[in-house]
Amino acid sequence: MAEINLRQVSKTYFAATPVRALDSVDLDIAEGDFVALLGPSGCGKSTLLNILAGFEDASEGSALIDGGAIGKPGPDRGVVFQEAALFPWLTVWENVVFGPKMQGVPRADYEDRAREMLATVGLTDFAGSYPAQLSGGMRQRVGIARVLVMRPRALLMDEPFGALDAQTRMAMQELLLTVWEKLNTTVVFVTHDIDEAILLAGRVCVMTARPARIGREIPIALPRPRSIDDLTTPEFTRYKAEIMAEMRSAHRQAESTAA
Amino acid sequence: MSDTSVKQAAGRPAGLAAPGSRALGSTLPAIILSSNLGQLLLALILPVSVIAIWQLSGTNGSLFGGVLPTPDRVVAAWWTWAFGATGMGLNPYSGTWLANVVFSTQRVAQGFLVAILVGVPAGIWIGWSRLGAQVLDPTVQILRPIPITAWLPFSLAVFGISGFSAIFLIALGAFYPIVINTTQGARHVERNLVRAALMMGAGRFDILRRVVLPAALPAIFTGLRIGLGIGWTAVIVSEMIAVKSGLGYVLWDAYYVGRMDVVIADMVSIGVMGLLSDQLILLVERWALSWRLAGAR
Ligand SMILES: Nc1ncnc2c1ncn2[C@@H]1O[C@H](COP(=O)(O)OP(=O)(O)O)[C@@H](O)[C@H]1O
Ligand SMILES: [Mg+2]
Repeated sequence: MAEINLRQVSKTYFAATPVRALDSVDLDIAEGDFVALLGPSGCGKSTLLNILAGFEDASEGSALIDGGAIGKPGPDRGVVFQEAALFPWLTVWENVVFGPKMQGVPRADYEDRAREMLATVGLTDFAGSYPAQLSGGMRQRVGIARVLVMRPRALLMDEPFGALDAQTRMAMQELLLTVWEKLNTTVVFVTHDIDEAILLAGRVCVMTARPARIGREIPIALPRPRSIDDLTTPEFTRYKAEIMAEMRSAHRQAESTAA
Repeated sequence: MSDTSVKQAAGRPAGLAAPGSRALGSTLPAIILSSNLGQLLLALILPVSVIAIWQLSGTNGSLFGGVLPTPDRVVAAWWTWAFGATGMGLNPYSGTWLANVVFSTQRVAQGFLVAILVGVPAGIWIGWSRLGAQVLDPTVQILRPIPITAWLPFSLAVFGISGFSAIFLIALGAFYPIVINTTQGARHVERNLVRAALMMGAGRFDILRRVVLPAALPAIFTGLRIGLGIGWTAVIVSEMIAVKSGLGYVLWDAYYVGRMDVVIADMVSIGVMGLLSDQLILLVERWALSWRLAGAR
């Protein structure tokens, strides 16, 4: 588990025309928090997550994990990608044990845990299958299992359920809730789906359109354990109305600054 | 969709109807043509008629005033070449077919192996690292337009009349398609796969071996198949000039002494060996890339 602090983080991509993707982002995430970053697509959510993961460097400002500067990508920050990004030439089992193997963990020390994680995501019977033989939801579950095996201090998830159909998506959300309520890892969860953000997170950070800043942070006080049934409660609807209003005003703000 | 049906579909030659299509318009000719036997019959129409016309238009076993032997004489020549008694009688080729096939095949295999051992790592380096591209790519691009036939005198001067000369040319000829296709494959590795590996603690060499190499494998196999074809061209050319054994040597020698029946039997042998070695690569490819055919969603 980890504490994450962003201080005035900005990011400019120097492409043919420079793109300012993040503008002075401040964000504090306490140990064990589940934070959702919510914003329209193209606003800079992935950029922010990639800085946390170490895939990109911030152009300005400081990004800290447990007080130290975030360095290269590593197993302490497990990333779950939108398209799962499994190695298609490895079986489910080989994908799940890839991390421990790369870190030189002896087989005896990771095998039990890998088996346990496969069981947690319900894929024990598919250990020998290749990713091409799995459905999108199953692939994403492998993506989660291979990260959990490494006992990361933080889980960074970039629209992990964005490409799934509605039903699979809900099943995955429930699975993630169960897993997280057991492990209590710090989670940064990127999404453009308001329902998903409210259902999962303890706090929703609404991001403005590009260049992204964090607008308002809305704590979600729905009791845990949560389930899909919470989607229809009055409190849920109240949060949804509040966040939608916030997103609309963030959008207006961005348009007026752009003009 | 089960994985077996996908495998079957992938293994079926192009143009073959899927089993399901039989239900529609299942006339008798359609059924015959969609069977394996029907396919074979269709494929044989052209070669059989060419051979028949060739055979029938010959007089006294030859065409064009004795220049071209008829097919039956070619088969007879091949039979003696393959199964005749060895020893320097009237027919120096008698019984030497297998030995010559082995000579040529061995050279192709050795040159091809060298091409793989050099071409794949070089291609990975060029495709993956900017430094690799800057150091190697210009040299490869400058040397590539020189046809391997133009290297013949050079390789004779360096290696003399020997098998090395042939192996050098084969390796060089096969190297280009292998290195170029490997480069393409290594250049287009999905970015998130590399990021995922980094995130799981993979080091630089692990990334190359466990991500870039397997991701480039489909492209590498394309290069291998083209390279092997060039390897066979190179072995024949160099054996005609630089070595005194092998199918290329026999080809030229037989032409010199006017044995066109042996020349044609030799040509067919080269074709068959090229086909067989290509099938072998396809087999290895299907095994190595089985994860791609493993199934649909
Ligand atoms: N490597 C890059 N080079 C140039 N521009 C980029 C790069 N990555 C992202 N961008 C731009 O930065 C902005 C934010 O992108 P991203 O963080 O992917 O948004 P989101 O994840 O919210 O959809 C977009 O306008 C995108 O085009
Ligand atoms: Mg994104």
